[in-house]
Amino acid sequence: MKKYLRAYLISLQETLQRRSSLVMDRLGGVAVMLSLYYFWKTLLSGRPAFLGYSYPQMLTYVLGMNILRSFALTGRGWELVGEISSGKISSYLVRPLNYHGYALALDLSQKTVHLFAALLEIGALLIFFHPPFYLQKSVAAMSLFIGSLLMASLLFFFLEFLVSSLAFWTSESGGPLFFFELFIQFAAGAFFPLDVLPRLLQKGLSLSPFPYLVFLPINIYLGRVGQGRALQDLLISFVWTVVFAAASLHVWRKGLASYSAEGG
Amino acid sequence: MNAIEVNSLQKEYQVFDRKPGLGGSIGSVFWREWKNIKAVDSISFRIGEGELVGFLGANGAGKTTTLKILSGLLTPTSGNVEVLGFEPWRREREFQKQISLVMGQRTQLWWEIPAQETFRLNQAIYGLPDKQYRESLDELVEMLDLKDCLAVPVKKLSLGQRMRAELAAALLHRPKILLLDEPTLGLDVVMQKKVREFILDYNKKWKASILLTSHNMADLTALCPRVLILEKGKLIYNGNLESLVRQYAENKIIRIVFDGDVPASAIAALGGTADSQKTGMWVSVPRSEVSKKAALLLSSFPVADLTIEEASVDEIVRKIFSKS
Amino acid sequence: MRKYFRVWWKMSSMSLMAQISHPLGSLGFLLGKIVRVVFFFAFIIAIFQHVKSLAGYSLEETALFFLTFNIVDISAQILFRGIYNARRAVTEGDFDFYLIQPCSALFRLSLTTFDFLDALTLLPVLWVTLEILHHLSPSAFSLHSFLYFLLTINAVAIASSFHIFVAGLAVRTQELENTIWIYRDIMFMGRFPSGVYGPMFQFFLTFIIPIAVMTTFPVRAFLGLLSWKWMAYSFFLSTMLLGLSFWFWEKSVRQYTSSSS
Repeated sequence: MKKYLRAYLISLQETLQRRSSLVMDRLGGVAVMLSLYYFWKTLLSGRPAFLGYSYPQMLTYVLGMNILRSFALTGRGWELVGEISSGKISSYLVRPLNYHGYALALDLSQKTVHLFAALLEIGALLIFFHPPFYLQKSVAAMSLFIGSLLMASLLFFFLEFLVSSLAFWTSESGGPLFFFELFIQFAAGAFFPLDVLPRLLQKGLSLSPFPYLVFLPINIYLGRVGQGRALQDLLISFVWTVVFAAASLHVWRKGLASYSAEGG
Repeated sequence: MNAIEVNSLQKEYQVFDRKPGLGGSIGSVFWREWKNIKAVDSISFRIGEGELVGFLGANGAGKTTTLKILSGLLTPTSGNVEVLGFEPWRREREFQKQISLVMGQRTQLWWEIPAQETFRLNQAIYGLPDKQYRESLDELVEMLDLKDCLAVPVKKLSLGQRMRAELAAALLHRPKILLLDEPTLGLDVVMQKKVREFILDYNKKWKASILLTSHNMADLTALCPRVLILEKGKLIYNGNLESLVRQYAENKIIRIVFDGDVPASAIAALGGTADSQKTGMWVSVPRSEVSKKAALLLSSFPVADLTIEEASVDEIVRKIFSKS
Repeated sequence: MRKYFRVWWKMSSMSLMAQISHPLGSLGFLLGKIVRVVFFFAFIIAIFQHVKSLAGYSLEETALFFLTFNIVDISAQILFRGIYNARRAVTEGDFDFYLIQPCSALFRLSLTTFDFLDALTLLPVLWVTLEILHHLSPSAFSLHSFLYFLLTINAVAIASSFHIFVAGLAVRTQELENTIWIYRDIMFMGRFPSGVYGPMFQFFLTFIIPIAVMTTFPVRAFLGLLSWKWMAYSFFLSTMLLGLSFWFWEKSVRQYTSSSS
């Protein structure tokens, strides 16, 4: 356990040190947040509600998106793909280390930094723009929100790990990861709430693991999901997480086997 | 007519002095102490049409900087340079069509696809008519033995094959000036020999002026009648390689293979060194005494074979540098 | 000119060959690019199931803003895909070859990897755009559609100047590969008509980082909502930025050839 804590701390320093790429990552997120903030502000002006979202709820959805993007939808997918295709991965494999645990520790350190950055950005936005903000006061709803946030983060970790592991088979697997990243932002509700979509599409997505990544946690926060229902959803997302954890471990082992068979 | 004329060429770089440690790197954000470094320090030389000249010197002596100036990649701080009558750093198209630069560690070949595609690209870049391109390509493929490498993705070629394809890509437009930076770097002995033979052939066939740098003495002895030696940016020797060898190699080396056993004390008595298997010895002798010593050795030992060798160029260069 | 076309053609077909050599990777990139366009488009259509207008614009008009953003964005990517690898090209020495060969180094650097996946995404975007243009203004050759065309080209010119700046930075500093991503990130705001943003941001997007000029102005001209003054400003801006960026590029190359080792 101690070595993973160490990895977490070292990576924390490293993330903070590479300031220019951190700033760049954040800038992208801020641009998205501001665009959508203004988009909904304009759309809802002169309207009390849209699709059941009150004006404060919709704007809070946009701010919540920034938190979820930062904590749930960040990972080391590109680094992993790079390490696999350059062969650097083997230097980890010879150490007495569980790579998934190690990667999770590094992931968490990035998520920590990005979460704080997101909170700062939202703070600044609240100070400068004074948007109406939906504050969740119920302790139960808040705990459920935090639970769903953690679960979303873990689910994304295994999903991304699964896709990145494809690099074991294709020399250039940035492609699948690129698609995955874009697709998941839409399918998870990280650009807009999924209720906007046609019913059929919503139904389809609700059978997938994606809404549990962003859409559900924010809706729990906004109190749009009853607590009983929220608990049930949390359970489902737990099942998804277990499924994808198993799948990603399996693919990882297969990948390693084919990797060593080819001699790296 | 001279293909290359260089007069009091000077090239200075500015680098900033980075203080060690965290304090230093934070400090360097705000103030930097600049330091001038003379990479090339007022050198002059000429290279005639069709001449093959070697460039010699330790790392950082200024060889690559000079090649980069001659190819137009770097602008000198001062001095005159004329290559085929052009100032290289103006990078005029007419000039660029007549030169080529090959860098041993760098490649212009596209990694993922066959080398012939890069050749075609160069055809377009240099504006070669189809007929000329075909002729030139056929000839290079023949000379470099590239027939089987053309259609294979470059990443699947061996280092030697890649280097030869690299040379072909650089020579399709039949440059009059060829600048080679470490062309045999990393190649095995057989491949080195092949590349050397090709360079010599190309030089003879097209009267191209070739300037090459190498750490590999075999390259220079095989290819370059004349060498330029740089040290710390200064030209310290410009002339014949053989006379250089003669000038610095006061001693020759006599090697003997024994026919039977010889006691170590007897070898030591004649100033020799036994070789590792104890089946022979060698001794270093001043030029003037070679024949006398050889006769003495022949009469003292049961000799199966005796050879007299020049000291290696490697050794000579080390000597030159230690003297200056 | 013909030579440059030949070089471009050859480089493009070579990039195509290289991309085909990893089908799975290329498929991923292609799908990603398509998802990005299609999902946003679907989002806009879905929104208009519930409202009649956005910042005063109808569905078709809003879609036109979004499509114009994509035309400008994708065209710039097609023209300057190589810039995304500029730092690598400089540090690994490819750029040295560009400099000593008889062909413009900026041209080589920018177009060295033609992304045919971008071209594939651009075609349907162009098609839908033409459909909408036709629907909004049935006469094909009106003054307004001509202005739309001109201002879209103008927008690509502005995008080009940003890319040339970034190329100059890469040559000069041999780092800052991130700079191009600042542009990409802020460009996100171009997806919606600039009328959506508050007055402060509109000012910012018109004068500081002229995304509005690139993505909103062409459509507003088409709709007859853009005054001559703003059009003049657009053309002035692109001329100035292009001039500055070429100047900066030349300066950077001069510095590169006098300082690198």
